[in-house]
Formats: sequence, structure tokens, C-alpha cells
Amino acid sequence: MSQAGTTVTWAAQVLGGTKVFGSGEAEVRALDGVTVGFEQGRFTAIMGPSGSGKSTLVQCAACLDRLTAGRVIIGDVDATNLDERRLTRLRRDRIGFIFQQFNLLPTLTARENITFPADLAGRRPDQAWFDHVVDAVGLRDRLDHRPSELSGGQQQRVAVARALVGRPDVIVADEPTGNLDSNSSAEILDFLARATAEYGQTVVMVTHDPVAAARADRVLFLADGRIVDDLVGPTRELLLERMGTLAR
Amino acid sequence: MLRFAVRNLRAYAPRFVATALAVVVGIGFMAAGLMLTGAMKSALLGSVDRQYASVDAAVVSLIDFEGVSPGVSPAALEQIARTPGVAAAAGELTAPVRILGEDGTTRASRTVGRAWIDDPDLNPLEVTEGTPPTDGVVLDRRTADELDLAPGDTVTLATPIGRITRPVVGLSSFGDADSIDDGGTVSFAPDDALQVLGTEARGWEAVLVRAEPGTTALDRTLATELADAYRVVGGADFRTERQALTAGVVDVLRPVLNGFAWVALFVAGFVIANTFAIVVTQRRQELALVRAIGGTPAQVRRALLAEGVAVGVVASALGIVAGALLSAGVVWLVGRLGYRLPGAGLSVTPLLVFGCLAAGTVVTTVSVLAPAIRAGRTRPVEAMRIGAVDRSGTSTARAVVGGTLLALGLACLLGVRLGGWTSWLLGPGALVLFGGVIVGGPLLARGFAVLLRPATRPLGLTARLAVDNTVRNPRRTATTANALVIGLFLVTVVTTSGEAFKSWATGQLDALSASDFIVASAGAPIDDEVVEAIDGIPGVRRTAPVRTTVSASTTTGQTPVSGADVELLRETTGLEVVEGSLEEVAAGGAAAVVDFSTLTLGSLGGTESGSGTTGGGAGGPPGGESPFGPGVGLGDAVAVTRPDGTVESVPVAATLRARIDSLTLGILVSEETLTDLLGPQPVNLVYVRTEAGAAEDVGVAIDGVLQDFTGVEVVPGNFLGQIVGQVLDFLVAAVNALLGVSIVVALVGIVNTTTLSIHERRSELGVVRALGTTRGQVARMVVGESVLVAVLGTVVGVGCGVLVGWVLVGALGDGSVPFSLNPARVASIVAAGLLVGVVAAVAPARRAVRVDVLDAIRAT
Ligand SMILES: Nc1ncnc2c1ncn2[C@@H]1O[C@H](COP(=O)(O)OP(=O)(O)O)[C@@H](O)[C@H]1O
Ligand SMILES: [Mg+2]
Repeated sequence: MSQAGTTVTWAAQVLGGTKVFGSGEAEVRALDGVTVGFEQGRFTAIMGPSGSGKSTLVQCAACLDRLTAGRVIIGDVDATNLDERRLTRLRRDRIGFIFQQFNLLPTLTARENITFPADLAGRRPDQAWFDHVVDAVGLRDRLDHRPSELSGGQQQRVAVARALVGRPDVIVADEPTGNLDSNSSAEILDFLARATAEYGQTVVMVTHDPVAAARADRVLFLADGRIVDDLVGPTRELLLERMGTLAR
Repeated sequence: MLRFAVRNLRAYAPRFVATALAVVVGIGFMAAGLMLTGAMKSALLGSVDRQYASVDAAVVSLIDFEGVSPGVSPAALEQIARTPGVAAAAGELTAPVRILGEDGTTRASRTVGRAWIDDPDLNPLEVTEGTPPTDGVVLDRRTADELDLAPGDTVTLATPIGRITRPVVGLSSFGDADSIDDGGTVSFAPDDALQVLGTEARGWEAVLVRAEPGTTALDRTLATELADAYRVVGGADFRTERQALTAGVVDVLRPVLNGFAWVALFVAGFVIANTFAIVVTQRRQELALVRAIGGTPAQVRRALLAEGVAVGVVASALGIVAGALLSAGVVWLVGRLGYRLPGAGLSVTPLLVFGCLAAGTVVTTVSVLAPAIRAGRTRPVEAMRIGAVDRSGTSTARAVVGGTLLALGLACLLGVRLGGWTSWLLGPGALVLFGGVIVGGPLLARGFAVLLRPATRPLGLTARLAVDNTVRNPRRTATTANALVIGLFLVTVVTTSGEAFKSWATGQLDALSASDFIVASAGAPIDDEVVEAIDGIPGVRRTAPVRTTVSASTTTGQTPVSGADVELLRETTGLEVVEGSLEEVAAGGAAAVVDFSTLTLGSLGGTESGSGTTGGGAGGPPGGESPFGPGVGLGDAVAVTRPDGTVESVPVAATLRARIDSLTLGILVSEETLTDLLGPQPVNLVYVRTEAGAAEDVGVAIDGVLQDFTGVEVVPGNFLGQIVGQVLDFLVAAVNALLGVSIVVALVGIVNTTTLSIHERRSELGVVRALGTTRGQVARMVVGESVLVAVLGTVVGVGCGVLVGWVLVGALGDGSVPFSLNPARVASIVAAGLLVGVVAAVAPARRAVRVDVLDAIRAT
């Protein structure tokens, strides 16, 4: 973990996060006392074997699910004990999501999907910013299409645009390129990396593709619900090597 | 968010079809009922208003016993006409007549004969051609047109005094309408009318009075003038009274039709709740996504509710259109049967439209509430989990509550039937039982599947799968089945209890074959000629003419008073004396009255089964107080009011067992005593006793005698049994037809659930097909599922229905009505339920078979 201390501002933090599913015989400890902070304006990747708790960690960090024990802090707000309504608002206003699949509402057009969170909040989106983002992800001529009329890569770009348009404190992406071909994956990763570099957008991304993780500023390794490694400024080679040691 | 709801509605429109259809059926039925009765009511009320528009006051008899009334004498009319302030007075008199052809065949059977009113203001009719009926009759122009009659022709008429011929001198209309009576009108000159329609003895039904301009308090003047021998009513009150008479039918009809509409809507509620629950399940991932990116539970709930409301409003509007079509169809159909419903148009009022819209929307919204709340509870993480399948189970709380309710309901019902508990528990018991069925439905569905599973073994794996599929989501299965349960439950209750009452009542009433025929008048008197002619028929042993009128009395209110030859009456009917002797009555000056303590439901028909067998009988429904005053019995006296208002006390010399005939007679006196008390009265009832084996021929002969007379009917002595049987049959059939609407709604529900669950299991079906299941097997599995849901609904519905019917018959029949289950009827209800299952499966099975194997496996 970065020890920069006072100079660092955290977009999101999980402190002593533990998540237990089931009980008794069937008990699964998906997160086991994880403490981690996601630095503002950084692109963080999370890697680890399947079942290591990556999804659980980002879901809890993004307030989609509650921890069994520990605290979650988004920006300067302690989200641990917020009620459902406040938590929902917090998600709506401060967090953007990109999932592996089923990102979009099938009945809405691309444009409507992108502005949906603003709609929920009863706000008009910032038109100039909207145009900028749409052009950046190259969706200008696809805005009035339904998800079913878009390719997988285009759908994922809509999801990225939706996340970016709200200028959230943090964008959480759980294997956003997992279902895409390499070209489309590269595009999506590009957008995320540029968002961090150009607008200072905080991004947290789960992936098990070292090529994807190499684009990040920092990579966390998870195993059995614990953070086992933390790399700043990773290269592909370094990552492959780490993965090799972890798998052993 | 509203846009989201709207988009969803558009995108998922097919899924809402069932919801909409359920509402359309219910609301359509409600709207049709309201429209028809509304049109009828406004037409009836309007025509009453028009008919009596210029009436300022009316004079009627003081006595009016359910439409039987002695009338106003011709002398009184003259007296009224002479009263100062009266501009015009006219007698009103009507009786049924038939228009006959040359050969005596009937050409128009529902025509009404009326006394012409000379005063043009009081007369609702206008002469459109020819002259008023001074020396002939005036026909309404439609009847004349239809029968090709014109002024100058001669008509032959069957009337209360037999066959007559009259020249047609003119044609009439009623305002814009052709006729005031929907079967046609024949107007007679007033004097002629008194003779023909009133057979001289009857007098006027009412005297209509028009006041001189500026006259005040004419009704009081008239009352004084007539020495309070008649009742004088102001014009407005008179119109209201007449409206109440004519609109009464509508007032009864409307709540009945509405009741059925509400049953249909209630059933629709289940279908809607279920559809939305399934829709919510299917969209779980989508809803979770909305929640993940910031939609609050309230927003999700509201979106779902908005969808529900929109469906409700649209479906209700469609329902109103459907209702208009339905009622137009009914009007057309009734027209084809030769009747004209009053108010041929449809009355569509803003209130009706609003009411129907509101009813449909409220039912839909309320039904959507539970699924919407569940949707709001969707957890955001579910957006990231694949393959959300509704696994709503059966909780322990549900088991406990459902089980308790079922047990409690059963206990109440069995207690009423077997334990002698008060029958008031029947209603609550049935309701609690029903609540138990609804709450415990999923458990019933489970138990049902457990029972059926072994039975499917010989039928192969597809049958097993079908059974398993129904319990995958027991709650859904139960809700679907419950829609069917309601309809079948009600049908079964009505059918089984109706059946039991019918066979009991007809059996009891048939035992009462004291007289072989009863010749009865429907208001108009029976001509003496008829009595003589019947008496002269070969094979007739005895005839007993009875003159019944109504008397008011200070002690008893209004009661029928009958005069007859007591000996003849005894020979033709089964009069049974409880105390005293009829000899004194026959001798004159004394009366016989019914001993009301012998009145039980059982005593209404049976000769012996009255008080004796039911252990005292008294107190059982509908036994009650004697209308002659409490405890009027042998040695007491009954008070009879003479026409001049004086009261005569008549000693009671005999009491009669309460039976239908003795109850009809009321206070029985000798013919002479009746004339002495109330003046000469016409015959209106004739009991006929035939020689053994002659009944058939005598019946035909009496029909022949009555051919030319109207207002008189001959019925077999066991007519009550027949009528009661027919009426009950008709009621059961009618009620069942109406309840059929709710079964149709349930059918829609099963189609819907099965279709949606097929949709939900597309990939699974794909796998099943990929593994080598044939299309036929898939189709059979789907049909199996649907039939199983129908079987569950049928078994529970019919079972509860038989149970409640059994308890109901026991409670109402006071233990004297045996419960006879007609296996054929029950079997046909069960068959109907199963048919619903098969029919409901057709469309879903087609869909399931068409699932493309590769497609289904790929897409989730
Ligand atoms: N809803 C759940 N119920 C029970 N166990 C779960 C649930 N979600 C995740 N788990 C368990 O928690 C552990 C971590 O899961 P997850 O965070 O999805 O891993 P990853 O995303 O790293 O593959 C796994 O063992 C998984 O089986
Ligand atoms: Mg994962």
C-alpha cells in the first residue's frame, strides 16, 4: 500500500473489509480483512485468481453490496452505515459502473442509457461534456440505436460513456473487456487510461488480462480474500512474473 | 424514469396482453351491464315522465297488495271530474290482449289494451291517422304496420272477456316513439275498455287528474271530496311511484350484473399480480442495474406502478369499448328474439366512463402493488450475477398461517353442518377457508406435486418434468391456479346447492297434487263464461272458482280476502284444517285463516312433512309472525275494512295448515260473506279436479277454452314444482354463465403464466431439445404443466365448492333438505376446468416447440 500519507487523497477506501457469504458448513470468506485505498486520479487494476474475491471487493467498495465487517469510505463520506436511500444516491452521484455484460437497459437507446443516471437524479446532463465524451468514445452516429443494434464493443463503449458523463469520484469496472475481442478491448482500455490521464478520472478495474493491467498506474493482487501484492507502475513482464509466482 | 416505464411498456407490450385482457373482460362486463341498465332505466323513467307529464294529481285505491288492487269505481271518476279545480279527469286501465288472425291464430301476443284518454293533455298518445276510438279501436302505428292493418279494417282480439272484433278507426303514436308498450298498444274507448279490459267488475286502475290553471292543494280538495275512500297522490309523487314500479327491474338487475363484474375483476386481480410478478422476475437483472447505477427502490417501484397504471387505464378504456360492443350485441340478440329492450340506444355517461376507468385502474394498481414492492427490493449486486431465476419459496410463516386458516375455515364449516353451530359462521368460515387456500396455495401446490410425482412414473420423464416444473415456483403456480379456483368454487357452490334445493323442492311440491289444474288470472278477472266452459269439459269432476281481493285492515295491514264455495274448494285442493271446522265458514259470517305456526320451509309443499316431522317446525325459516296480528287463532276475530271505510270484525272459525294454496287465499270466507263485506268481486282463480286418467285431455280442452281469453293462464296442479324447478335451473344456468366470465379470465392467466415460464426457460428448453427431446415431447411437457395447474385449481375450487354447498344446503334447509350431489354436473365442472388447462396450453406449447436449439443455448 502507498505510504504517501497526508499528501494523498483517496477516492474510495475499504478499511478492514470482511465479507462472509453463507453460514456454518457453507460459509465462504470472500474478503478477509482487506484494507485498501484507491488514489484519486489514478487507474488501479485488481488481479487475482478466479474466486479470490476481486468482484466482491469492488462491489463492496462501490457500495453495491455491504461488508460483513469493516468500513467503506467514498471521498469524504463514510458509506458503511448509510441507509439504502442515501447509499443509492451516493452510487448515483459519485460512482460509475462498467460490468462485464448486461450493462445497458435493453429498452433504452444509447443516448438514453448514457443520460439515465442524470435522469434518475432529475438533472439535465452537461451538454458540452456529453458531446465531448460521446465523440471521444466514437458513438456520435450510434446514439439512437438500441443495445441490441450495437456490437459488443459498442455496447461496452456506451457503458464507458455512461460512467464518464456523470464525472463520478470513481469508476468501477469488473472485467469490462472480458467478453470482447482484442481490438475492442484495446479501445476500451484506451478510453479508461485516457480518462485518468486527461481528466484525472479515478478508475478501479478488475481484470485477469496482464495486457489490460499493464495500462494501469498500479496493480493489486488478491488471493483468498487478501491483498497479497501491490505494484506501482507495472509492466507486462513484471505482471506476468508476479502472476507466475502467485500461481505457485 | 417515466420514460423508462413507457419504453418498457412498449418493448414488453405482449407480456401485458394477458393483464390487459383480464381487465378488459371484467370492465367490459361491468360497462355493458351499466350501459344496458342505464339505457333501460333512463328510457323507462323518461317514458313514465312523458306518459304522465300533465298529471297534476292521481286517485288510486287505498289498497295495493303487490300490484293487486280493487281499483277506482266509475262513479268515483264522475265525482272527481265534477270537483271544482279539476280541468280533466280520466281513468287509466290496461290489460293484456292478443291480436288474432281470421283463423283464430295469434298474430301479436304481447299487445296491451288501454283505455283511451279523451283529454289531449292527459293522453300520452296522439292520433296520427284516422280518429280516436269512439266506435272502434286505435292501434299503435308500428303494430298496424307490422300486421298490415289500417283504419277501415277490422281486428279480432283475444281479451279478458274472450274473442271480440272491433273496427280499426285510427293509428296512434307515443311522442316520437310508435308505442308506449313495447309489444304494441290497442286503445279502446273508455266505456268499451271498462267492459272488455275490466270485465265490468274491476273499475279503473287509477284516475288521472289535470288541474285548472292556478288551482292549489287540489289533492287535499279531492281527498275531502272522496271522503278518504281513495288515496290521492300529487302529480310528481305519482310519477315517482310509477317510476319505482318500472325501474324496479333495473334496480335489481344492476347490482347483480355489477356483482358478477366485480367477481371477474377480482379474478383479474390475481392474473395481473401474477403477470407482473413474472415480469419483475424476468427483468430482475435490468432492475438491479437500475438500482446499481442509482435508481432508488422508490423509483423502481414507481416505474413498475406507472406501468401498471398505464396498462390499467388503457385496458379499462378498451373494456368500455368492449362493453359497448357487448351491450350492442345483447340488444341485437334480444331484438332477434322478438323483444325490444326499452331504450334501444346505449347510455354512456361521463360517470360511467369515469367509474369504469377508475375501477379497472384501481384493481390493476392494487394488484401490481405487491410485485412492484418486490421489484423495489431488488438488490443492486444482482445486476452482476447471471441467470436470475425466481426462487421464491414457501416460508414457514406461510405454512403456519395458511394451515391455521384452512383448519379454522374447515372447522367452522363442519361445525355448522355437523356440530349444530350457528349458521352465521358459514360466511366467515367460507372466507377463512378461502384465505387459507390463497395463503397456503404454494404449499398445496407442493403437496399436490408430491402426490402426483409417483403417478407420473409410467408416463416417462417428460411427465415428471412437467410436474417438477409446476413446483419450481410454487407461489406462481398457486396464484395462477387460484384465479381458476375462485370461478370454479362459485360455480360449484351455485350448482350443487341449486341442484339440491331443486330436487328437494320439486319432490316436495309434486306431492301436492290436490288439484289437477289451476286457472289463474294475471290481474284481469276471469270471465264467468270461462268458468262455465271449464266446468262443462268432459272429464272435469269439480271446479272451484275463487274470488280474491285485497282488504286493508287496521290490525293487519293489507291481506288478501277470498270468497269461495268452501266445500268445492276442499274437494279440489288439499285444504287441511288444523283447528275448528270449515262448516261454520261455509255457513257464512266466519273466516278461516292460516295457522302460521305451521309455516316452515318444509310445510310450503309437503302434505305431511310440515310441523310433524321437523320437530315443531316453528321458528325455521321462513316461518314468522302471522300477518293477521300476533296470535290470531281460533276464537279470535280478523278485521276487514269495507269499501266505505267501516271495519267489520269476522270471527275465526277454523285455522288452516300453512301451504301455498292456503297462503294465497289469505282470509277465507264464503262467497256470500265476501260479497256482503266487500261487494261483488270477479273470479280470479279456478281450481280444477279431473276424473282419474282424464288430466291429459282436460288440459288440452282448457287450453282450447282459453284460446280467446287473455290475462288467464292454466297451469298444472304441480306447476309449482315445475316452475320452481325451471326457475332454479334458469338461475343456476344464468349465474354460471355469468361466472364463466371469471373462468375465461383465469384461462387467460394460465396461458400467460405458461407462456412466460416457457420464455424464461428458453435456454433450458434448448438444452433439452439439444439432448434429443422431440418436439412432441416438449409440447406434451408444456401441455402437462398447464393441465396440472388447471387440475390443481379445479380440485381445490370444486372441492371447496362442494363442501360449502353441502354446508349451505344444510344451513338454509334447516336440516330438511337432503344434499344430493349430481355426479354428472360435478363431472362437467371438473371437465370444464381441465379443458381450460388444455386450451390454455396451445399457444405456449407452440412457442416452446419453436424454440431454436442453438439460439436458446447461446442467449440468456
Ligand atoms: N452471492 C454469493 N453467495 C455465496 N458465495 C459467493 C457469492 N458471491 C461470491 N461468492 C463466493 O465468494 C468468493 C469470491 O467470489 P468473487 O468475488 O466473485 O471472486 P472473483 O470475482 O475474484 O472471481 C468465491 O468463493 C465465491 O464463490
Ligand atoms: Mg468476478
